[in-house]
Amino acid sequence: MKAASVELLRPASSASWWRDPFALTVIGIAVVLAFLSIYPTAMLFYGSFTTTPLGETGKLSLSNYVTAYTDPETFTLLLDSFVFALGASAFSLLLALTLAWVTVRTNAPFRGIFELTAIVPNILPPVLIAISWTLLLSPSVGLLNAVMKNLFHLAESPLNIYSLPGLMFVEGLILTPLAFLIINAALRGMDPALEESARILGSNQFQIVRRVTFPLMRPAILAAGTLNFVRALESFDTPAIIALPARIEVFTTKIYREALAAYPPNYNLAATYGVSLLAVALVFVVLYRRFTSRVETFATVTGKGYRPHTIDLGRWKFVASAGALGILTLMVILPIVMLFLISILPYYHVPTLETIQLATLKHYAYIFKSDRVYRAIGNSLFLAVSGATAAMFLAALTAYITVKTKVFGRGILEGLTFLPWAFPSTALAIGLLWGYVRIPLPIYATIWILLIAYVTRFLPYGLRSVSSTIVQIHRELEEASRACGGGFWTTLRRILFPLMRPGLIAGWILLATIFMREFSLSLFLYTPSSEPVGPLLYFLWLDGLTGPLGALGILVSLVSAILVAVARRYSRISG
Amino acid sequence: MCKSRMARIPFGPLFLLGILAAAAVLALSRPAGAQSLLDAAKKEGKVVIYGSLESGIMDEVEKAFTKKYGIGIDYWRAASNKVLDRVLTENRSGRPLFDVVVTNRGPMLFMKKENAFGKYVSPESANFPEDVRDPDGVLSPIYRMVIVGILYNTKLVKPGDAPKSLDDLLSPKWHGKWVIPDPSRHFTTGVWVRNLEEFYGKDWLAFAKKLADTKPVLAESFIPAAQKIISGEALAGITYVKYVHIFGKEGAPLDYVRLPKMLADGHHVAIAAKAPHVNAAKLFIDFFISREGMEIMAKEGEFVTAKGLYPPIKDAEKIKAIAMDELSDVEYKKWAAEFRKIFVTK
Repeated sequence: MKAASVELLRPASSASWWRDPFALTVIGIAVVLAFLSIYPTAMLFYGSFTTTPLGETGKLSLSNYVTAYTDPETFTLLLDSFVFALGASAFSLLLALTLAWVTVRTNAPFRGIFELTAIVPNILPPVLIAISWTLLLSPSVGLLNAVMKNLFHLAESPLNIYSLPGLMFVEGLILTPLAFLIINAALRGMDPALEESARILGSNQFQIVRRVTFPLMRPAILAAGTLNFVRALESFDTPAIIALPARIEVFTTKIYREALAAYPPNYNLAATYGVSLLAVALVFVVLYRRFTSRVETFATVTGKGYRPHTIDLGRWKFVASAGALGILTLMVILPIVMLFLISILPYYHVPTLETIQLATLKHYAYIFKSDRVYRAIGNSLFLAVSGATAAMFLAALTAYITVKTKVFGRGILEGLTFLPWAFPSTALAIGLLWGYVRIPLPIYATIWILLIAYVTRFLPYGLRSVSSTIVQIHRELEEASRACGGGFWTTLRRILFPLMRPGLIAGWILLATIFMREFSLSLFLYTPSSEPVGPLLYFLWLDGLTGPLGALGILVSLVSAILVAVARRYSRISG
Repeated sequence: MCKSRMARIPFGPLFLLGILAAAAVLALSRPAGAQSLLDAAKKEGKVVIYGSLESGIMDEVEKAFTKKYGIGIDYWRAASNKVLDRVLTENRSGRPLFDVVVTNRGPMLFMKKENAFGKYVSPESANFPEDVRDPDGVLSPIYRMVIVGILYNTKLVKPGDAPKSLDDLLSPKWHGKWVIPDPSRHFTTGVWVRNLEEFYGKDWLAFAKKLADTKPVLAESFIPAAQKIISGEALAGITYVKYVHIFGKEGAPLDYVRLPKMLADGHHVAIAAKAPHVNAAKLFIDFFISREGMEIMAKEGEFVTAKGLYPPIKDAEKIKAIAMDELSDVEYKKWAAEFRKIFVTK
């Protein structure tokens, strides 16, 4: 299947390479990828080694590193970051394992519904989940706290979201779908013959899980755990909402405080912490890659069309369903209910039966009237459509070159896409600010810097979705096109792109939903006229405008849900 | 601290003897160059403003301004330190997109030092007393004061139980129940804490430490602080007195503690060094600090410096406001580190 077809696409007469459209395309893609990923990295380093403010050239010095690493707070920051990431990742694994086990391996009723876990992050932006949980578990105005106080006649609120466990809890919920995807796939791909043999040899259910299932699952669990660890380390959504008021400092809040909240801002120190975060992220992403390659090489994962043995839980099957439903309630139902509540309350308070009668639609009217909301939605739509299109075009060509050809240097292309994969949004944003502030093109402080940031950061997502369709296309089809005299571009346009269409469309929609409400990059790069929806949601939250925030949140989630439904239809066709 | 005590003016009748009703007359009869300014401004079509003035108030100013001159306002509101950051970076990149900046005195002085502003002395400046005008002709006169006081939630705190003074916040019953913007992150609050020297003399830092020991809720800036009082997340807190009206008129249960003296920060407006719409910007500044502009702001809850104009807040005319001494960026950096130790990390 993995066949070389480069020779085929080369013109028969060995003309000079610069007149060969294929060679030019490879070079062009390499240049674009290098510019997208290496340039901001280099500028992030530059920013960390200079002492003059953003936008001015200066001498190189190590003083920022000295400042950063002689600050005693840096060590609490490192410790808190790691504890937070570890806790969030462990919690997400626990939830994901439970959900995946119930859906794949048991006969629990309605287990098909729990598969929807995988698409939650495409619908509910993490910022909104964090905000909802803050309103549910705030010690003074949290709805759940108020309910528990009433039920159990407590004097004090039992739970406090503004704490390290609170931070881990919310981030864990946000990361669960990612772990679920990996573990679910591994569980499905497991060969039931191994468990069957253990059963025949007299092992009971518990022994099978301990001696067979778990060891087989270990690479997937490690991969999911490492990935979520690094995602938590570089996440800014939850820390922005919870860590700042909780007086907890992690890498991303430190970068935010130096770059955006200091007086005056210090982009040099922000870049210094950005470099450190990037370094840590790279180490763990390399680890993750090692674990996933082990998952792939594991003999148990084959393409056979079987369903693993499901365990009859008897009466316990309802308990299993209830447990999975409980997790889904924490992840989706409660946050959405909360968003809906704040969107219809005239001002935020713990609702009672009397005040619920005050329910109003004025916040929905407000968001349809506000110029700022219109502009933000316009900006986000523009970024979603043009960003997803640009990213998918780039992804399709890159995937074609790296998967289907054996051209020299395709390994470099692959390497170039690896960097954005590991790039924490906050660090990338700081690198881009340093990179574009002096470039005499209208990029800095315009919507274009957001577009560049989005495409760079999320290109790997697009790659993943086209790569899976591209491997299915047999080279016969390209050969046929060549034989009929089609050149490289003709073959691409007439044969490959149409065949890749389901993957392209699914990837396009996935990226569009991400771009519709992107937050971490946007907060650093937007300007008043290019403000997208993500930062707007955050500012509505900061200014206490919970009503419009809820209304806009519901609207954005609804649009995303529709997009995701369309995407799922397309990916099913491709499957 | 910067020792020029230029803005040490008690609020109220003593202040601004220079402003007379003539201001209104002046505004109506514009001097000779005015018509050409208006024409040029109309050609530019709009003015882009960055500032920390509440959007609702700018909406009202915009309505009147656009009605009068047919020129639109593009307004971006953010906390003062974000405004400062945006202005300075756009300025350094050589492509400023803003025409006018309107925010607190400290950041305005800093931006002036960084050459972010151009010179412009509005004809309206003549209506302000000498000591609130900028001798360099860059910043506008101080056209309003933002007064920092203690606000409380009238639904959750019985009138008798509200704090009577700053010292009352130290009592155990307020422990963890009041809110203050994080002085290590929020510039104006940092300046406020430093200016407690006004009330506590050399013991100010010891008092600030005691305040911090009561573990107040920390907010991003003054609006989130007020919102936390409204939502009940905090029962009382340090924020702008004007929110009693601004949020109160929408039904928020807020009142302020009648402290004998309150610290206040001056506000300026200035024109960008490289304003893309320079004429519209001048026209806007003229309108903004005119009697008409200040009447609009006062009606919306602002403590403007024009004589006899008060916001619709009970006892507003009795408030004694003391202008705070500003901190330079170097001083703020030093104190912010200290405040971080006592308010955040301890």
